[in-house]
Amino acid sequence: MESTQTGAYAALKAAWKGVVKISLMLAVTYLVANWFISSLPAADYRSLFGLSNRNAIWIVAQLHLMFGAFVLGVPIFAYITEIIGVATKEKRYDGLAREFTKLLAMAYTLTAVLGCLLLLLLVVLYPKLTGYLSGLFKPTWLFYIVLIFGEVIVATLYWVTWDRLQGSLKKWHLLLGLLVNLWGTAILFTADIWVTFMMSPGGIDEMNNLTSLWGAINNHTWLPINIHRLIANVAFGGAIVAAYAAVRFLNAKTDAERAQYDWMGYIGSFIAIAAFIPLPFAGYWLGREIYQFSEQMGVSMMGGSFAWLWILQAMLIGLLFFAANFYLWLGMGRIPGAERYTKFQVGLMLILTLGFMIWATPRSIIASGMEMAAMGGSHHPFLGLFGVMAAKNTAVNMMILTTFISFMIYRRGNRIPVVPWATKGNIAQALTIAAATAIVVFYGFYSYFVPSITRIGFSIYQVGAVLAAMALFVAIDIPLLKGAKEIGPIQWGKIAPRSQYALFFLAISFTWLMGLMGYIRSGIRQYWHIYGRIADDSANAFTPTHGHATLMVSAITIVFFLLVSAVFAMAARYKDSEETAQ
Amino acid sequence: MTGTFIKIFFFMLATVSLYTYVGQLVPQFEEHPPKKQVITPETPTSELVGIGQDLLHGKGGCLVCHMDADGGNNRGPDLRQAAAAANKHKPDMSAEAYLMESLLHPDDFLVPGYPRMMPAANKPPANLTPAEVKAVVAYMQTLGGMEPTVKVTMEDAAASKKVGAPVHLGRALLDEHGCTGCHKVAGEGGEVGPDLAVVASKREPADILKKLDDPTSWTTPGYPAGMMTKEMTQGISEGDRQEMVAYLAVSAGKEYSAAGTLSPWSHEGVRLGLVILVFNLGLLLALAVARRNEKKGEAA
Repeated sequence: MESTQTGAYAALKAAWKGVVKISLMLAVTYLVANWFISSLPAADYRSLFGLSNRNAIWIVAQLHLMFGAFVLGVPIFAYITEIIGVATKEKRYDGLAREFTKLLAMAYTLTAVLGCLLLLLLVVLYPKLTGYLSGLFKPTWLFYIVLIFGEVIVATLYWVTWDRLQGSLKKWHLLLGLLVNLWGTAILFTADIWVTFMMSPGGIDEMNNLTSLWGAINNHTWLPINIHRLIANVAFGGAIVAAYAAVRFLNAKTDAERAQYDWMGYIGSFIAIAAFIPLPFAGYWLGREIYQFSEQMGVSMMGGSFAWLWILQAMLIGLLFFAANFYLWLGMGRIPGAERYTKFQVGLMLILTLGFMIWATPRSIIASGMEMAAMGGSHHPFLGLFGVMAAKNTAVNMMILTTFISFMIYRRGNRIPVVPWATKGNIAQALTIAAATAIVVFYGFYSYFVPSITRIGFSIYQVGAVLAAMALFVAIDIPLLKGAKEIGPIQWGKIAPRSQYALFFLAISFTWLMGLMGYIRSGIRQYWHIYGRIADDSANAFTPTHGHATLMVSAITIVFFLLVSAVFAMAARYKDSEETAQ
Repeated sequence: MTGTFIKIFFFMLATVSLYTYVGQLVPQFEEHPPKKQVITPETPTSELVGIGQDLLHGKGGCLVCHMDADGGNNRGPDLRQAAAAANKHKPDMSAEAYLMESLLHPDDFLVPGYPRMMPAANKPPANLTPAEVKAVVAYMQTLGGMEPTVKVTMEDAAASKKVGAPVHLGRALLDEHGCTGCHKVAGEGGEVGPDLAVVASKREPADILKKLDDPTSWTTPGYPAGMMTKEMTQGISEGDRQEMVAYLAVSAGKEYSAAGTLSPWSHEGVRLGLVILVFNLGLLLALAVARRNEKKGEAA
């Protein structure tokens, strides 16, 4: 890895090395793909070495996507931290952003290798479909290659000029950071074109010939998936960085190291959870667009073949909320004065538990014939009331509000407001939360008495109330805590080691959840390559059992973490050697 | 370090195992694509009804919203009742016509109390062919306690071959490479050469590929030899030739796949490689200039 105190020549050399690396990878992919194509007989589908072509694509695509999320999420995260460092003039934020960015170098290589492997597999195993898609979207994949080279150059320059572009030159470094993120976002949006077209095709005629490239790009699900993935990448990047900090914390030999990595883990988890909170709202939008594109697809997703996987998703998200709150409550142990708020933890825990139970309640209960006869159908006479969206929307909004309150309590753990309007401010904040709770609960109950089409609209009021309450609360909180009396400084590093396992849990669960959601998103096409247009005629066109799907997701998660461990190990080794050199 | 790693690894295994375990607890089923069924005018009515039932349960996706004797959902009307009342809604329409039209134009035949949410049966995602729509109507007639009256015609069977034909870029490529300047394709184009639809119906795909490779290899009777020259075809990449031939073959009702010789990996790949090479060399040049400037700076 290049030093970050380099001159123009060395910076350019580092960027050139990255370009050569990508060029060689593309060349090798092209040659190997051509070799396969010329040596294998023509076919619509192929398999290699007796392996299932679908499983091969599934594993490699998901791993590529996870690393892609990592290398796109971490720079957003690093950039936000760098800006905070500039704004607060606290050097440690700059150091933190620098350390995050360092994690990227090897992750970029792994992402590119997996991307090339995916391309190779698509061309060799699904030649006809790949041929159709690449022909249809030729301008976009050429643009994609340009973006990849641009990202390599800008990201390398961002890293190698870190120490050189300080002080009055910092603005240039911030500009580079902005470019890295704009480029990264453009890469994400471009890759989403192909994926979303397969889900909700547009811009083609009845014979599937292209009529409008923009129509094909701007299909029903493109924009909501862009936004959903962008937010999810930040959450994912934050969770992975927090996991890295947790490893370093557990291996720390000095108090100073422990303090540094405790703080890093906190910042990572904070950004992860902050990004995680609006994610369900982006999900609602995506869901609505799916329904608008095809009612059948929406129904298959939510009420048909994939309905049970949402129960699994609810369990995962519920556990993520638990882990996030658990980490915050443990973290309050190192904040002098935070014990004032311990009394709220039981109440918050109860709301979370209740929310979790409601959200994980299935609409139809798995029951024997006798049990079903006793219940009078597959829906339990009482529990069935909690298995519907009216209850679930209410539960998830309450869980989001609860987690937000935990954050706000944590934030003011060691601070006492001294502004003259402190009491009024506190009352206004409490009223804000109470009003949001009232709106969420009211519409939750009311939803039971209106048709489904009206009920869907209510979720917007619930979401709006929660978002507005959070925004208003923070708007009051910032001036309220200005110049607040500090009971004592946060004792960074003095947190129970088990808290670090909460950070691992967040990272593992985020990753697994990404795998599951990726499967649902892709799986709802069922036996179609391109939904409603081009059918999958291969032997693997069937939708696998949920058990098989979860096994695949678990296997992918394990491989991902083994690869990420290698990235962490290299980053840690580099950091240690850098410190030794200093 | 190793100890911590092992602990974390086992923690990860425990977490993913929990999720995997829950994944095994929920109902397990595989969903297979609908069977491909061949419907001809000779298909017996009883078989047609069976095919219609399969289509309604499978490819048509009707039970996502409707219900029949085997189950389903109540987002849409119960098909048994809807079918039984088919001859009562519009006095001037037979039950068959009513059912047919309500499948093809569902918004015009909305049952009161239900929203507009059903896609036409012959459009995505169901994409039923004309013969398949008739099979579904036959089944629905039996659901409503009637005798099936639908008759599959030769036109229905022929149209079914075209609907859902494989995807080919060939139509656009025939325009792009100027073929339609002299030949008619799908009723459009010049008349200097023979109609390519006729050619494709009489010749094998391999013959057309040969003609593109060597235009003197054969000539359609009734047309003068030598009109089509090698210069006209030599610029067409192998991938594009395959696509064009595949389009023509499929349009003529023949099975042909262009897979394995697709254009993005023929000429475009090489061209793109050259651009990337030039880009690399440009960067190398910039690097050399930067190095020289740095040395100059050091010397100064």
